[in-house]
Amino acid sequence: MTRILDGRSGPEHGSAVPDALPPNGTTRPAPDTRTTTVLVVDDHPAVRWGLVQLLEDQPDLKVAAVATNAEVAVGLAESEQVDVAVVDYQLGGRNGLWVTRKLRALAVPPRIVIFSAFANDHLAANCAVAGAHALLSKSSLGEELCSTIRSVAHGRVMLPRVPPAMVQLLRSRLGPQEEITFGMLLAGIPEPEIRRALGLSEEDLCRRRTQMLARLEALPGEAPRDTMSS
Amino acid sequence: MSDHSDVQPTDGEPRSSNGQAHSSGGEVRPAGGEPGGPADESGRGYLPLFGRIVLANLAVLLGACFVIYVIVTPARLSKLATDEALVVTLCLVTLVNLILVRRVVVPLQQLTLFARRVDPAQPGTRFPDAGAHSEAGELALTFNEMLERLEAERAQSARSVLGAHEGERLRVAQELHDEVGQTLTAVLLQLSRVHGRVDAELGPVLGEAQDAVRTSLEDVRRIATELRPETLAELGLVSALATLSENFSRRTGIAVSQELQPDLPALTEETELAVYRVAQEALTNVARHAGTDRTDLSLLDGTGQLTLVVRDYGCGLNGSPRDGNGIRGMRERAGAIGGSVRVGAPTQGPGSEVRLQVPLS
Repeated sequence: MTRILDGRSGPEHGSAVPDALPPNGTTRPAPDTRTTTVLVVDDHPAVRWGLVQLLEDQPDLKVAAVATNAEVAVGLAESEQVDVAVVDYQLGGRNGLWVTRKLRALAVPPRIVIFSAFANDHLAANCAVAGAHALLSKSSLGEELCSTIRSVAHGRVMLPRVPPAMVQLLRSRLGPQEEITFGMLLAGIPEPEIRRALGLSEEDLCRRRTQMLARLEALPGEAPRDTMSS
Repeated sequence: MSDHSDVQPTDGEPRSSNGQAHSSGGEVRPAGGEPGGPADESGRGYLPLFGRIVLANLAVLLGACFVIYVIVTPARLSKLATDEALVVTLCLVTLVNLILVRRVVVPLQQLTLFARRVDPAQPGTRFPDAGAHSEAGELALTFNEMLERLEAERAQSARSVLGAHEGERLRVAQELHDEVGQTLTAVLLQLSRVHGRVDAELGPVLGEAQDAVRTSLEDVRRIATELRPETLAELGLVSALATLSENFSRRTGIAVSQELQPDLPALTEETELAVYRVAQEALTNVARHAGTDRTDLSLLDGTGQLTLVVRDYGCGLNGSPRDGNGIRGMRERAGAIGGSVRVGAPTQGPGSEVRLQVPLS
């Protein structure tokens, strides 16, 4: 992953003073709307703690909530209305893509950064389909995570390019209409343009994304409903 | 297989294809005949079946003559007619016996030779002329059934051993990821946090520590992937093999030219894993022994079977062990899914190749 922004780019940074860290799993309202509020989702205590510490050290970032599993994360994101969710891909039963789908369906969806030990082309494609805004490898957590959070908070999408071979392979599992959507999502075309081009409502596209993920077997425990459009 | 062409009767006579005796008169001799049977030269401690039957017949014949001449005393038959009758009968009986006995002995010899050549590493070989049409045929049938049972049992035990093996690999991979990987991630986060606060002198030191942790994280990820290929379960065999070759090339510098048929028929999880592991092991062997900078990997489906070939352009098999653990492991993998592995020289050019064939039912 290339670092695009290098600090000093949060929306009105520098005004937040990091205060005492809340115990894991508890939440608090974002104290200052001018900082970027972050939801941290990870099932491993040490990683979770490390993430919270790192983010709390940043003057322009504020950890508004911490979740230890996928279901709790969705509930917290809804109640806290965070700006950015930082989500571990592997979360026991559910995964980060499932969380992404749920978060994107909220009334005020946060921007989403997925991180994984296995951040490969396949996951990058799935992230694009799910609607995540960035994908990071665990070995690049650190300064790069902070800059990525700032970037996505500014509206950028930082997903790695998916090589054509992988696109081809995944495309072969989809229906004709889905293939078109898939291509557009991977090309990074903004959602409103996709909807306009395909004549889809916001809900339609949302449903189609979930359906495509199920067909790509990226959502464990959710079988694709057989509505392959032709 | 090529049994017929290889099997030569040991009595040195040209053998007719159905194992019948030749009808030339010269062969029809009393007292077991000149061919002598295969047993005579090999010095066995017992009279072979051939001789036993002929001797028994002669004994019967002589007994009959004794009865005719001594007990019945054919007063009404002329001496000449009796002699002729006797000779004709003798010849006929011997001829019939020879035919019958050869029909038993020749297939038995073939079966013996076949049994000697049976190679447990190459399952699926069966004696061709088996059936309930003769004693030898029945024996061959039983022999084939026994091979069947042994191979099934062997495959079954290989399957359970490999299953346990894979289970253990999965456990280690998960533990590596969940414990070591997560702890390293936490350490990396802590180092990143401190990095921004230390002075210029300590900065580079901390940077090095971060790099070391990143390298370890990558290693953990790589080892876990080798132990349990995520791609195989998520994207199937072809993608997993492509990823395997790319990672292999990156790590060893050996170029892998891939020919992977994209539209393979549906394979069981077990078959996919076995093919993947054989390819993995074969590539490892190339890196260890072949001393080459290029290798071919192909996976093709044709004539009812799946064929995986890993071929290198290195030094061949002369210097390396022909049947090491790696090759035995590949054979076991193949055997567990009803396939076979051949390790040897390629049909042309230098190097060596591993060829896995799996029947597709």
